[in-house]
Amino acid sequence: MKEITAIIRRDKLPETKKALEDLGYPSLTIQSVEGRGKQRGAMCAEMDEEMPESFCTAVKLKPTPSTYALEHTLPKVALYVPKRLLSMIAPDEAVENIVQGIIRVNKTGKRGDGKIFVSPIESAIRIRTGEEDEKAVS
Amino acid sequence: MKMIRAFIRPEKEQEVVLALEGAGFPSLTKIPVFGRGKQKGLQVGPVHYDELPKTLIMMVVDDKDVQLVIGVISGKSKTGFIGDGKIFISPVEASYTIRTGEAVL
Repeated sequence: MKEITAIIRRDKLPETKKALEDLGYPSLTIQSVEGRGKQRGAMCAEMDEEMPESFCTAVKLKPTPSTYALEHTLPKVALYVPKRLLSMIAPDEAVENIVQGIIRVNKTGKRGDGKIFVSPIESAIRIRTGEEDEKAVS
Repeated sequence: MKMIRAFIRPEKEQEVVLALEGAGFPSLTKIPVFGRGKQKGLQVGPVHYDELPKTLIMMVVDDKDVQLVIGVISGKSKTGFIGDGKIFISPVEASYTIRTGEAVL
């Protein structure tokens, strides 16, 4: 079994759920999360240009958009982007299918499309019946 | 690759995030969570707090960077008192960037 953790755009959630349903894996957990990627938030590009060369913080860090935003009380919105985190447990052979399905629906080609992580799960138990492992997730 | 899940004090979040960014790890996901540890919550006078607010910081990094990231997180969020939090490391087999569809971090 594998756990598939996908961080996607908020407005793509209904489409993603539909796509997963069509693939035959409708069970999932959804969480509202905030986060950021390599670009360090949404407004990073604009802020990088505004940032003066001499800008240095008291915390002895390299000047970054976040520290700059902090110092100048720019809107917090610049630091984190709200996303939806989907988490689902699937049998090994279904992983490739699900991953490609999520990518197909969520791909816009622009930054901020999100990430998918696949990690191993050792055991699963269905609480109602006590079934274990593969039976519990099918 | 490893997934790092750190449960830290909410008030330390900003400090930790800035330190991580300074160390070259800007990407992370944060989730506000409630939980308790082996102290079974917190007793303040007659009031018992069963679940305490924490911030869960989730990030996926290369194997070689794990120790560095743990050092940064624990260095910044340590106060020495009960309730500093925990860090959990778990394996990640693959990671995909949806924008390109490639299997790279």
